[in-house]
Amino acid sequence: MKSRLPVIVAFLAGVLMIVAFFGRGAVVDRVAEEALAWQTIVAGFALLLGVGSIVRVHWHRLATGHPDRIYSLVLLICLTVMGGSGVLFGIGSGTLFDSLFERIQAPMMSTMFSVLAFFIASAAYRAFRARNVLSAILLLTAVIVMLGRIPMGQYIYHALPDWANWIMMVPSVAVQRGIIIGAALGAASMALRVILGIERTYLGQGG
Amino acid sequence: MPELFSHPFFTLLPTAFFTLAIFSFLYRDNPFFKFAEHVFAGLSAGYYCGLIFQSVINQQVWIPLTQDERWLVLVPAALGVLMFARFVPKIGWMMRLPLAFVIGSTAGIMFIQQLHGMVLPQVGRTILPLDSVENVLLVIGVLSTLIYFYFSKPHTGPLGWVASVGIAFVMVAFGAHFGYTVMARVSLLIGRIQFLLIDWLHLAS
Amino acid sequence: MDRIQSVDRRVLYTLIFISVIIPVMWPLHLPTPETPEARAFFDAVEAIPPGSVVLFPFDFWPSTLPETEPMAVAGLRHCFRRDLKVVGLSNVGIGGPSVADRLLDSIGAEYGKVYGVDYVNLGYKAGYQAVLLGMANSIAAIFPTDHRGTRLDSLPLMQRALNYDSLSFVLIVSDNAMADYWVALVNARYGLPMVAGVTAVMAPKMLSYIHTGQIKGLLGGMKGAAEYEALLGESDMASRGMDAQSLIHLLIIGFIILGNIGYVASRRRPSPARAG
Repeated sequence: MKSRLPVIVAFLAGVLMIVAFFGRGAVVDRVAEEALAWQTIVAGFALLLGVGSIVRVHWHRLATGHPDRIYSLVLLICLTVMGGSGVLFGIGSGTLFDSLFERIQAPMMSTMFSVLAFFIASAAYRAFRARNVLSAILLLTAVIVMLGRIPMGQYIYHALPDWANWIMMVPSVAVQRGIIIGAALGAASMALRVILGIERTYLGQGG
Repeated sequence: MPELFSHPFFTLLPTAFFTLAIFSFLYRDNPFFKFAEHVFAGLSAGYYCGLIFQSVINQQVWIPLTQDERWLVLVPAALGVLMFARFVPKIGWMMRLPLAFVIGSTAGIMFIQQLHGMVLPQVGRTILPLDSVENVLLVIGVLSTLIYFYFSKPHTGPLGWVASVGIAFVMVAFGAHFGYTVMARVSLLIGRIQFLLIDWLHLAS
Repeated sequence: MDRIQSVDRRVLYTLIFISVIIPVMWPLHLPTPETPEARAFFDAVEAIPPGSVVLFPFDFWPSTLPETEPMAVAGLRHCFRRDLKVVGLSNVGIGGPSVADRLLDSIGAEYGKVYGVDYVNLGYKAGYQAVLLGMANSIAAIFPTDHRGTRLDSLPLMQRALNYDSLSFVLIVSDNAMADYWVALVNARYGLPMVAGVTAVMAPKMLSYIHTGQIKGLLGGMKGAAEYEALLGESDMASRGMDAQSLIHLLIIGFIILGNIGYVASRRRPSPARAG
């Protein structure tokens, strides 16, 4: 029951979506439309599960005297202020929620990802070696594209932008297409396994 | 004096502080970075709380329920609340029901999406007249890439030759992808430096 | 020669910082060469009849704002300049609806546009594909209200924009798989024409969709945004950043060459066993 019922629910939900694609009946369309709306609501609640886990972990750190408990306190205070302001005063422009996002959260997120520029440069210096013909091809293509895509490239050699365009539109598209087809077939077969109940890892232990 | 504090240097000081705190990690891990990291995690979790409360609970459940008397929204709302059964060991298994609903319907959508929206158009556009170098290279490139990534048979004999052609194409594509990845990462850094020099310190226009 | 391969990473980081700071302080204003896909993006939006309703997904995280915000700003300016009506939404939880609100209001104000009449921000709903498919028959079924909690049936624009049949175009700005979902679900099933502005990491894959005609045009990264700004006759955030992009690319190529010189030199040097 604990494993069988969810598998049946997954099967019915999956089959409904597939039938809705082919079926043009009013009943099927109406049921599918309602199911899609329900899915957005349930998925929204699912996002809050992660918040619950974070609170549990950091509350435990506070309670047990973890060495980094001061940072856990900072996290919980920020969570409370941000969440509380959103719930009580709204999330639109001009609210405290929006100000905290625009002035602190978004810039920090941008900065965290901008640090990757240093890491990729360091990796290029340390690991990008032309050890054989294939890696030399990779290196050469990367250099042509990097030069062809910058304004200075056309001044280094006039044909670099055209070479970069050709590389992107012919060999690169060919490989990307092969990868898209392969990945799509894999994803479709995985989806079928979930619908048919063969794949049950989402049920967790005992599933 | 109050006018001085309305200068962008002061109004953007919190933003600049957290930006520099994150950058300080490049030197080494330090308390400023840890503080900024935990502020970020707390704000992110709090963002989801405010967002889901307003977007889902208020706009998708409460308003239709109270203004349009759509009682049916109580069903997905109940399923959503059932997700939290996970935190109660005795009834924890019940969270599988809403999870199965979401994953099952997503799987159904994905099945059609991948075949109808990805495979068919891409395969269709690979069936090209072999009347130009570009078309020949495209067809060879797609087929040899698919064969290179087919690992259920050893790459020997004719299959091995085609796979060798495939890996050459793959190296070209990955080189191009590396170039674009560098471009992407560098752009993010440029954005932050522009904020620090132009918006905060007004050292450039 | 060993020292060439073992330069301290903090020296590299310092050089990178300098190579960004210099062009930001003293810009070169070099023109960005145009790509065919960026021109196609511009032409596709230019061809939309004035007064049409355009769906504008702000499907990007705050982490990629330097690449995606210039595209979104230029896209909104283009739409409002052509008197297109914009329905904004976001499938990205953190930041999407907030950024959409800020950009729609600020760019809308530049062109004297009125909220509810010329543009609307539907906000965010969870579920990705379910949102895209659910809007096909009824946008109100997924978004009973807009981002601010106002009922859709009280907004004049949303009395026109009921479902995909009432929309003319989709102008996607995205930094994640949502771009694939829009193409594979909405364009494939409902035939809604679309263009996409994506981060540079995603651009190589998205070019396949140009080839199949599933999207009509593509902007790739900050460069794509700079090209679009140039086509609109502007020079804004992205155009300013391209000088720094040039210098850093040259620096990284220099790093690669330096690393390979050290590698070749270390391979040519006889090993102690051979020498002995």
